[in-house]
Amino acid sequence: MIDLLGRDRPDIVLLSSLIVLFLIGMASIYSASTVVSESDLFGKQVVWSVFGIFAFLAGSMISFRRLEEISPLVFVSICLLLLLTIFIGRGPANRWIIIGPLHLQSSEIAKAGLILVTAWWLSSLKVRPRKFGEALVFITIIPAVVLTAVQPDLGTAVSMLLIVLAMFVWAGYGLGWIILLVSPILAAVSSMNIFFWIGFMLLLSIILYKRRYPVPIWIAFIGGNSIVAALTPIAWNMLETYQQSRLITFLNPANDPHGSGWNIIQSEVSVGSGGFSGQGFLQGAQKELAFLPARHTDFVFSVWAEETGFVGCMLLLTAFFLLFWRITVTARKSVNPFNSLVTAGIGAYVAIHVFVNIGMTLGIMPVTGLPLPFISYGGSQLVTVLFLMGLVLNAGMYWREV
Amino acid sequence: MFRDKKQWSFFAYLLMAVVLFLMLGARLFYLQIVKGDYYRGLSSQNHIRVINSPAPRGLISDRNGVILADSRPSFIVSAVPSEFDSSKIAQVAILLDIEEEALSGILSEASSVPHRPVVLRESMSVEHVSSIAENIYRIPGILIDVAPLRRYHRPEDFCHIIGYVGLTDNPESFRGEITGKTGIELSMNEVLQGKPGLQREVVDAMGRIVEEYRGTESEEPIPGKNVILTVDAELQRIAMEQLNETGLSGAVIVINYENGEILCAASSPSFDPNMFSRGISRDEWNTLLADSANPLFCRAWAAAYPPASTFKIVTAYWLLAEGLIDVTTMPAPCYGSLTLGDTEFGCWTSHGRLNIVQALAQSCDVFFYRTSELGTLDALAEYARYFGFGSSLTEVLPNERNGLVPDEDYLNSTYGSEGWGLGNLLNVSIGQGELLATPLQMAAMAGVIASRGRIPRPRIVMQQEESEPFFPAEAINNSAFDIVTDGMLQTVISPKGTLKRVFADFPWDFWGKTGTAECTGETHAIIVGFVREPLPVTICVILEHGGHGSSAAGPVARDVLLSYFEGSD
Repeated sequence: MIDLLGRDRPDIVLLSSLIVLFLIGMASIYSASTVVSESDLFGKQVVWSVFGIFAFLAGSMISFRRLEEISPLVFVSICLLLLLTIFIGRGPANRWIIIGPLHLQSSEIAKAGLILVTAWWLSSLKVRPRKFGEALVFITIIPAVVLTAVQPDLGTAVSMLLIVLAMFVWAGYGLGWIILLVSPILAAVSSMNIFFWIGFMLLLSIILYKRRYPVPIWIAFIGGNSIVAALTPIAWNMLETYQQSRLITFLNPANDPHGSGWNIIQSEVSVGSGGFSGQGFLQGAQKELAFLPARHTDFVFSVWAEETGFVGCMLLLTAFFLLFWRITVTARKSVNPFNSLVTAGIGAYVAIHVFVNIGMTLGIMPVTGLPLPFISYGGSQLVTVLFLMGLVLNAGMYWREV
Repeated sequence: MFRDKKQWSFFAYLLMAVVLFLMLGARLFYLQIVKGDYYRGLSSQNHIRVINSPAPRGLISDRNGVILADSRPSFIVSAVPSEFDSSKIAQVAILLDIEEEALSGILSEASSVPHRPVVLRESMSVEHVSSIAENIYRIPGILIDVAPLRRYHRPEDFCHIIGYVGLTDNPESFRGEITGKTGIELSMNEVLQGKPGLQREVVDAMGRIVEEYRGTESEEPIPGKNVILTVDAELQRIAMEQLNETGLSGAVIVINYENGEILCAASSPSFDPNMFSRGISRDEWNTLLADSANPLFCRAWAAAYPPASTFKIVTAYWLLAEGLIDVTTMPAPCYGSLTLGDTEFGCWTSHGRLNIVQALAQSCDVFFYRTSELGTLDALAEYARYFGFGSSLTEVLPNERNGLVPDEDYLNSTYGSEGWGLGNLLNVSIGQGELLATPLQMAAMAGVIASRGRIPRPRIVMQQEESEPFFPAEAINNSAFDIVTDGMLQTVISPKGTLKRVFADFPWDFWGKTGTAECTGETHAIIVGFVREPLPVTICVILEHGGHGSSAAGPVARDVLLSYFEGSD
């Protein structure tokens, strides 16, 4: 198993599920592009794939120690890139930086930088704990999240926060600790419904009791969250109706203004009409009739589901699950905390994107613009995710390094 | 610690992923295996169609509850491109009474989004639409919907204030949805429009409804809210009548200077906004555009004119408040003109020696030339802005012009710092030169004098709250107000006052100031003024190319107020 350089062989399961997903992606985009009048989508994706393979190789060969050193620098440059997007962003919702033929979606690249800097912070806190160190991690990542949220791309911003929270879990912070951390957000959301609120307060009390906090902390959390919850409806009602609807549109820009839910219904019909074995490659009727929205990007899964049916979907989900399992195994065996945290963050990235995107096409998650890794059309996303996969392979081969 | 916890985290990760993947798998099983046949049926033969039902648009009424705009039912005919059989185009064209090329043009334009119905013909009557309804089963993909048609009850009087509606060109909206295009219909659109209801239907290839879509609930339409204007429809009618009698283009503004309510904002010539709600024909549109008097243009607030001598009110107030002159100051006499360098600045007659009250009453230009020399252009511009010039006064009137207050920066950037001089100040002091103001601003200016600076920002929608006075409290100078007010009274009652003859038989006290604006061709006639009894209102009348302010605009202002006050007794 171990060769002369003191490394393991590359993880075969990881590599093969990666190849399966990559091929599914190319097939889906080819199928979707046959009805998209836009210029050669498939050809562009092939070109991006070549870049992606180079990124994969780079990720698998880079030195993790060097990567750890430059992580803060990478993060700062990514924040600058996000800032630049706000000023010169073009395309839908001004999310792209356009340099000649190159269309960069900076928020996709930002996720990689976010994983690196969070891993860097958390692993350095392991070595040398600081007072309020956890708060510092959040203060560090807030600029990237806010700059993404104001693009506006709230879906991506929330997914960033979820990735960071998952990395906290991996670093050994208990679930209770994390719930306390996000309790103001939960308070605001649960204030909409009395049962949610009671449930939330019970949960909060159990956590505070189990962790044996002193009375002032109890007062701060229960009182603070009650104030947040009490103020939320007041603040909401102070807004004019049109401001409320603007806010809703801001929070959920992909929602169509008349609330007809057209996209979701068409996507469900597409997926459902795939049946057990699908309508056959390139035979999707919904796709063909242009009923399906964003066929090559956000809703690419619906194309695959319509044409290959339940069988194809299970193949795709299995490949994703195997990939996630191997990533998690790699993260567990890595000795170096930084390597382990980066790998775990990548695992969270994959799981969150898969669940949110496929959940959206199946009508069980809200419409957000999160792409399906490896499958959705889009160069920035493909290159980023392949680079991250290279890192996972790398971490798996050099897991003994301290 | 890290290594001990990692075992726990590892299982938390895997457990979470298993749960999430099982949820996706279960949902896929439900959609593809359990309901697969249903969806396959939907996909191959039937389509889901979203049916929007329009929300009733809010009413617009005047201050006394007179309905000015409401809606009545009418029909629209639309087609779903993906269901429509293009061999039936000729048949449909005959039924709808439109040209075949126009119809195929609409359909080919709409074919890029084949599931979205496209409007073929709007605002059809019951009689007309019934012939289509009889034939609809022969023509798949044709839909008939009820769409409220906007109806304006005093179309000519209120066309500029209320504006009109038309089909929205927002690609996200449903067929036949109307939206405000101009006026209050545009600026208050979010209040008036409400929210359309929607339901989803499964239809077969022939456009027949198979069933209601089972999946999401339908929504009822939410009606729009009503808008009440501060305008008095009766006064508006009188003002339009008086304007039309003159045969000139012009505007009448009446504002209550105690609460800022705009009681009248008439602009002539006018048009019939009902043309737009029933779908304006190309000929009608071209006729409107070709009219040299431009009836679509609102002269009450979207046009800016030189305020001419009416602006002497501001100049006089500035001179007095800044202490450059007082009520006893009598500069060198007016011999009919003033020579500055090699330019002669004329006055309309020779007035002799005057004080400020007489100069206002007799509208002597030379008095203001000689006194304004004492100050600077920037100081005068500052006061002009205090009186509401140079920026729009309301937020809800679309296309409200700012007017223009030239200050030194403006002249430097226009002519260069060497390209202008004292002459520009002299011109501005009598309301000419680069100075421009809307009739609304001129009426508000008189309102500042009438209310001693306390007139709130004008408003035209009742539901809007009364706003703060726009005249800065620190610029209030009561003795200056007294003197200017006296000047405006002497304009009307002194033997040589410019409005003496016009208001001789007017039963109430009137404070006024005339203006005759130089322009290419015949001069514009302007009057501003106010009464305290029987109603605290300020008025501005402007007649484009109407001649003199006193002889042309004055009688219109008098007759409007007279017939309104006598009628409302």
